[in-house]
Amino acid sequence: MSVESVLSVSDLDVSYGKVQALRSVDLTVDEGAIVSVIGPNGAGKSTLANTVSGYLDYDGTVEYRGDSVREHSPESIVESGLIHCTESRDLFGFMSVDDNLDLGAYRRGDREERKDLVYDLFPRLAERRNQHAHTMSGGEQQMLAIGRALMSDPDLLVLDEPTLGLAPIILEDISEGIDAIQDEGVTVLLCEQNVTFAMNHADEIHLLENGEFVRSGPPEELRTDDHIRESYLGG
Amino acid sequence: MAGISQFVIQSTIRSGLYALVAIGFTLIFGVGGVLNLAHGASIVLGAYGVYLATTVLGLTTGVGFVVGLLLPAAFSGLLYLGIIKRFDHEPIMVMILTLVTSIAVELLVLNTAGSQPVAIPQFVPGNVTLGGTNVQYNLLAVFVLSWLIIVGLFLFVNYTKTGKAILAVSMSDKGASLVGIDSDRINLITWIIAGVLAGIAGIALGSQLGATFSMGRTPLILSFSIVVLGGIGSIRGSVVGAYIIGFIEVGFVQFISNDLTGIAPLLVLVGVLLVKPEGLFGRELAE
Repeated sequence: MSVESVLSVSDLDVSYGKVQALRSVDLTVDEGAIVSVIGPNGAGKSTLANTVSGYLDYDGTVEYRGDSVREHSPESIVESGLIHCTESRDLFGFMSVDDNLDLGAYRRGDREERKDLVYDLFPRLAERRNQHAHTMSGGEQQMLAIGRALMSDPDLLVLDEPTLGLAPIILEDISEGIDAIQDEGVTVLLCEQNVTFAMNHADEIHLLENGEFVRSGPPEELRTDDHIRESYLGG
Repeated sequence: MAGISQFVIQSTIRSGLYALVAIGFTLIFGVGGVLNLAHGASIVLGAYGVYLATTVLGLTTGVGFVVGLLLPAAFSGLLYLGIIKRFDHEPIMVMILTLVTSIAVELLVLNTAGSQPVAIPQFVPGNVTLGGTNVQYNLLAVFVLSWLIIVGLFLFVNYTKTGKAILAVSMSDKGASLVGIDSDRINLITWIIAGVLAGIAGIALGSQLGATFSMGRTPLILSFSIVVLGGIGSIRGSVVGAYIIGFIEVGFVQFISNDLTGIAPLLVLVGVLLVKPEGLFGRELAE
């Protein structure tokens, strides 16, 4: 008996009109694992994230806990524990950090307890709890986006480009955050452009190029792969 | 001196009425971002709902007021489900369709109830003298009601789960969806509340001046001016906007000429768009 997989994707095709964005993608994310999808801009990482969380039509199979994503609205998918933290963050800009976090627990009850946890994880957010989200730096907004996602006590967290455009010092905070999330037992699908960052966190990595997985394996194996070393790790 | 106190009292009371008229419009245009040209139609339905229940069907005034709230609430909810939801990201279509709906409602009322003004029962009959000015109890009741609704709406939007969800949807549809908020449901609730608020405004206006099929036109323009002046997305801005326009309007009429009635909101609208198009409070609702 293998461990039950949280997310199971097979033979996935996604198109925007005539443009095919994902082609025959197979992906399994097991309980408690961090699986990362890496690849350049436009490879289809966000398309994959949006499909998994129920926002796009697709051909093939996408099952979360054995249940087809196609059958549910994105909101009811949130209810069942699959939480998506988007690349664009989609925060409530003219609301305080506190209110953004409260709304993160919209489908849950014990918000104060969860909020303490988020503020422990990102003390910088606690300092800015009454500040409007749109007035904060990119890194702080990213912490808030992750914090808001954590408020709903995710079972599977889909993180899309959490490091995009962030200063190295903020990257460390986000990095520690992801470690803590994993310690809590949350399963993570990490779509990430920063290959080094992904290698440091993931149990398994898939390289997505032009909508197709071209390499898959544990980080230690892919680190020595010629194509990945030359194109993504600077030789 | 008497002129000044009369001015202040009349302006204050008039502004309360204006705030009441604009607040439903604020919720849809300011918070929801939809320019609802059928706001005036909801006002008409509020007043004629009371007329229908009390004068035509002979029911009690209390039942009449309830009908006056339910009718525009149902209209507004159906308008959302039938039209707005389908043309979510097409503002021009929404403007055309709400305008057409509004004209249809006016014609329906004109053809069934006629063009003569009809009387609506007052909240409280009688008069009182305040600072040398004769004021109707009914207008005082409208003033108090206006503030109860402003405070109530403010507390609802900022401190309840559904209210915060309304704000969330107004700021980011995608963000709302990501935390599990069903935007369609929240929008429907917003439209129904706006319908009720417009109904209250319709009853207030009708009880003051009588109801006519075209009674919603001036309030629509007035509401638009108030929301633009106050800043889109701000309930507080709309209240301040209503008071500024109310004082200017009464001042024009009292100190310059009676012929200027109704001109003030339009002048303010043009002035604001030229000088400070984001309005007084911009996007500050969630405070």
